Amino acid sequence: MTETALKIDGLTKRYKADTVLDTVSFDVAKGETLVLFGPSGAGKTVLLRCIAGAVDPEEGSIEIDGRDMLDVPPEQRGIGMAFQNFALFPHMTAFDNIASPLTARRSTKDAVREGVESVARLLKIDHVLGHQPRALSNGQKQRTALARALAASPELLLLDDPLRNVDAKLRFEMRLELPRLLAEQGATVIYVTQDYKEAMALGDRIAVLDGGTIRQIGTPEQIYRSPATTDIARLFGDPAINLLDVEPEQDSAGIFAQLSDTRVPLDSMLVGAVGKPCTLGIRPEALHFADTGIPVTIEAKTPLNEKTVTLAVTKRGREILISRPAGRPAPSSGAAHIAVDASDAILFDRGTGALIAATETNAEVAA
Amino acid sequence: MKARMTATLPKPRRFSVSRRALPYVLSLPALLVCIGILVPFVTAAYYSLQRFRMSQPWNRGMNWGENYLNFMSDPDFWQTLKVSLSYAFLTVGIELLLGLGIALLLQKRTRLNNFISVMLLMPLMCAPALAALMWKLMTNPNFGILSYLVESIGFTDFRWGSSPSTALFTVVLVDVWVYTPFIMILLLAGLRSLPTQPFEAADLDGVPRLQQFWRITLPMLTPYILTASLFRLLDSIQQFDIIYAMTQGGPGDTLMVFQVEAYLNFFQSTNVGRSAALMMILWAITFFLSNIFIKNWLRLRERARGEA
Amino acid sequence: MRDKRGPHVMNHTSPIERILRGAALTIVVLFFMFPIFWILLMSVQTNETILRSPPSMVFTPTLQNYQALITGRLETQAGSLDIEFMQNLWNSVILSVGSVALALVLGVPAAYAFARHKFRGSEDIAFTLLSFRFAPPLLVLLPLTMYFQELGLADTYVGLIWVYQLICLPLILWIVRGYFEDISPDVEHAYRIAGHSWLSTFRKIALPLAGPGIAAAGLLAFIFAWNNFIFALVLASADKQPVTVGALNFITASGIQYGQIAAAVIMSIAPTLALALYAQRYLVEGLSLGAVKG
Repeated sequence: MTETALKIDGLTKRYKADTVLDTVSFDVAKGETLVLFGPSGAGKTVLLRCIAGAVDPEEGSIEIDGRDMLDVPPEQRGIGMAFQNFALFPHMTAFDNIASPLTARRSTKDAVREGVESVARLLKIDHVLGHQPRALSNGQKQRTALARALAASPELLLLDDPLRNVDAKLRFEMRLELPRLLAEQGATVIYVTQDYKEAMALGDRIAVLDGGTIRQIGTPEQIYRSPATTDIARLFGDPAINLLDVEPEQDSAGIFAQLSDTRVPLDSMLVGAVGKPCTLGIRPEALHFADTGIPVTIEAKTPLNEKTVTLAVTKRGREILISRPAGRPAPSSGAAHIAVDASDAILFDRGTGALIAATETNAEVAA
Repeated sequence: MKARMTATLPKPRRFSVSRRALPYVLSLPALLVCIGILVPFVTAAYYSLQRFRMSQPWNRGMNWGENYLNFMSDPDFWQTLKVSLSYAFLTVGIELLLGLGIALLLQKRTRLNNFISVMLLMPLMCAPALAALMWKLMTNPNFGILSYLVESIGFTDFRWGSSPSTALFTVVLVDVWVYTPFIMILLLAGLRSLPTQPFEAADLDGVPRLQQFWRITLPMLTPYILTASLFRLLDSIQQFDIIYAMTQGGPGDTLMVFQVEAYLNFFQSTNVGRSAALMMILWAITFFLSNIFIKNWLRLRERARGEA
Repeated sequence: MRDKRGPHVMNHTSPIERILRGAALTIVVLFFMFPIFWILLMSVQTNETILRSPPSMVFTPTLQNYQALITGRLETQAGSLDIEFMQNLWNSVILSVGSVALALVLGVPAAYAFARHKFRGSEDIAFTLLSFRFAPPLLVLLPLTMYFQELGLADTYVGLIWVYQLICLPLILWIVRGYFEDISPDVEHAYRIAGHSWLSTFRKIALPLAGPGIAAAGLLAFIFAWNNFIFALVLASADKQPVTVGALNFITASGIQYGQIAAAVIMSIAPTLALALYAQRYLVEGLSLGAVKG
C-alpha cells in the first residue's frame, strides 16, 4: 500500500488575479480512496481538472505512477473521471457514452460490448443502454456517467461530487453502494464532495481543501478527533461541535478548564495551553447527562430518528448541544448536569483557531 | 474485476500539434485569406492620397490630402453626403416604424401570424439588385402596374425613378420593401422574448394598453431596436445595389450616394484618387457606426445566449 | 416553442380593434407579397398581354419565356438572339457553393479556436473579421480590380470565391462560434479523458453538436453570396457573371422582352426563397449574427 499512485507537488492555479489553488501538495497511495472535502469554491473541481489535464496549472507538478503528467494530454493520462454535471455526450446513446473509453483503446467490437454490458449490469443500467441521455432519469444519467468513468478500469479514478445532482434517496443508496463498487475496482480514487458524511464514509483519508490550500489531511478518525482548526471542527459533525471559550488552569491534580464553576479535566499533555485564551471543542455526542457535572438548564429537545439532540444553557448563558443515541434517557426540561470525558475535549488557540495538540514535545520539555 | 486496459491506450503520436499552438493553427487559414483582403484596403488608402487618373498616367503622383481638401469646395461631394445621409435615415426611420408596427401586429403566436411572418421574409431573401429590377418592371411607364394605378388615381405625371422629384422616393420604397422584414423579424423575436410579469402586473393595476406600450414595451425593446437600426444604418449608408440597378445614380446627380459616386468616378471618369478618397470617408463613417453597433450587438448576444 | 407569452396583447379585443388589425395585416401582406406575385404573373405572359392597357389578370399562361431562357435562344422580331442566362445561373451556383464551402472549411476551425481557446489577440482578430462585414465593399474592390489583372484572377471563379469570403466568412465565424460556445466544455473534456485525441473530439463531439448552427450559417452564407451584386459587377468578366449582374444586363440585351426579364427574375430569386422557407427556423439567429434567438 505504500506505492504512490499520484503525487501532487506545489500545484498553483490562477485565474487572472484570483489564486484558485495555492501550492497544493499531497500524495495518494495505490488503491487508496482520498476524499477532497471542502466548501464550494474551495478549488476542489479545479484541482481535479488539473489532474485530468482539462486545466493547465501555472506552477507545480503532477505525477501519476512516477511519470510527470504536465505535458501529457488528457487522453494519455489513463484516467477515468465522472463529472458533477455528468457531461454525457448528448448525441450518443448510453451505450456509446459508456463505450467511449473502450473504443479509444481500440478494443474489438465484442470486447467493447462485453465491457459496456458488464459495467452497466454492475450499475443496474443495462436496460437503458439504447437510450439517449435526454431520455434518462437523473439517477440513470449519474450511473451512466459513473459507468463511463469505470468502463476501461482506469488506474486512477476521479469522481467530482457524483452524488451532488441526484435526489436524496438515490444519494443514500449510492453512498452505501459506492464503497463496495470502488473496492471491487481496486483503483486509486480521488473523490470530491461537500458532504462530510460522504467524506467520512468513503475516504481512506480526507484532504480538507479551503481557499485553495489543503488545511488538513488525514484519516476520517484523525480529522474528526483532532481537527486542525476550529473551522474544520465545525465542518465535520452534525449537530456541529460545541466551541466554548476557556482559559485552562493547572493545579496539583492536573490541567483543567472551568466551565460554569465546574472543573473539566484536560489531557495532561496540554501543558502549553495553561493560562492562555483557548477555545474548548466538545462534540455533542461526547457529552452525556450525569448526576454531577456542569449544571445547565434544558431549553429544547429535538428527537431525531437515530438520536436526540438537546439544547442546554449554562449559568453564564452559553449554549451547548448534547446529542444522545435514541433510547437513552434525556431530560426534556428543567435543570440537569452534563459530564464530559477528558479524552473527548479538543483544545484550540482562541486567537488563531489552531489545534493545540497534546504533543510529545510538551512532555519532552517537561521532562 | 477485469484486466486493466490502460496499457492498450494508443501511443502518443509525435506530429500532434502542441496545445499552445493549436488555436493559431486552426485560425491561421482564415486569417491568411483575410490578410489578402487587407492589402487592397491599404492600397485604397494610398491611392486616396494620390493624383491618379487612369486616363492620365503621366500625371500620377502624391498630392497628399488634396483629394480630401478638394471635397470642401466640391458641390458634388456635398450632394453625395446629403443624398447618402437622407437615404440612410429615411430608409431606417421608415423601416423601423413599419417593422415595429408589423411586429406588434404579429406578436401573438398563432399559426396565421407565424405563417405571415415567414411569408414576409420573402422580400428579404430577394437579391436587392433583383428587387430593384422587379420594381423597375412594375413602374415602367408603358406597362407597369404601379404606373397605371398611380395614374388612375390622378397623378398623371408620376415618373418614379426617372424624375428627380420622385427618384429618391422610388429607391427608398424598394429599400423599405426589401429590408423592413429584417427589422420586423428581429423586433418580433425581441417582443416574444420579453418577460410577461411586468405586463401582468400592469394589467392588474389597470394600466391602459397604450401606456403599457410606452412605459414597458418600448424601454424593454430598446436594445433590439438599437441593434436592428444600427445594423440597417450601416448597410443603408453604403447602399449600392438598389440605387445602381434602379437609376445608376440618376437622373442627373439626384441619387449619387457614396458607393455609386465612387463606382462611376472609378469606371467612367477613371478618377482613381477621388474615388478612393470618397471610399475612405465612407469607411470612416461606417467604422464609427460599426463600433457602436458591435458594442450593442455583443450586449444583446450575451443576453440571448443567457436565455438559451 | 409553444409558450404562454403575450396573452396581454389581445386579452380583451373589441371587434373594431380586430377589424383594424385584420385590415392592417392585409395591407402589409399585400405590400410585401404583391411584387413577387405580379412578376410571377408577368413571367407566364407574352409581351402582348403584358403591354395591354389597362393591365389585366385575365390571360392564357405560357411557359415560352422560361423555355427561351433555358434553351438560350430568344426569338424577336429582329431575328433570334443568343442569351446566356443559364450560364449566369450556373455561375451563381458555382460562386455561391464554392464560397460557402471555402468559408466552412476556413471558418469552422477558426470559430472553434475562438470559442474554445481564449488565446492572445483572439478577440481582436475576431472583431477585425467581423468588421469586414461592415466595411464598404468598393473600398476593397476598386484596388482589387487592378490586382486581379496582375494576378490573372480577373477571369476566374477562384478570384471571386476568394473575395466572396468577405461576406461568407464573418457570418460563419460568428454564428458557428456561438454554437461552439454553447457546448459544455466538460462534454469535450470527458471525451478526451476517455482517451480520444483532440482531433477525434472535434470530429465526434464538437462538430455534431454544433451541426445545426453550421448548417444554418452555411445556408445564410449561401443566400448572401447568391444575392451579392457589387462584387461580381466590379470584378467578374462577362462569362463569370452571376444572375444578379446577368439579369440586369439582360434588360438591354433583350430589348423589350419583358416576360423573359420577369422569368429571369423569378428563376434567380427562386433558389434563395426556397432555401429561406426550408431554413426559416435559423434565419432570425443568423440574420442578427446570433444576437437574437429565433
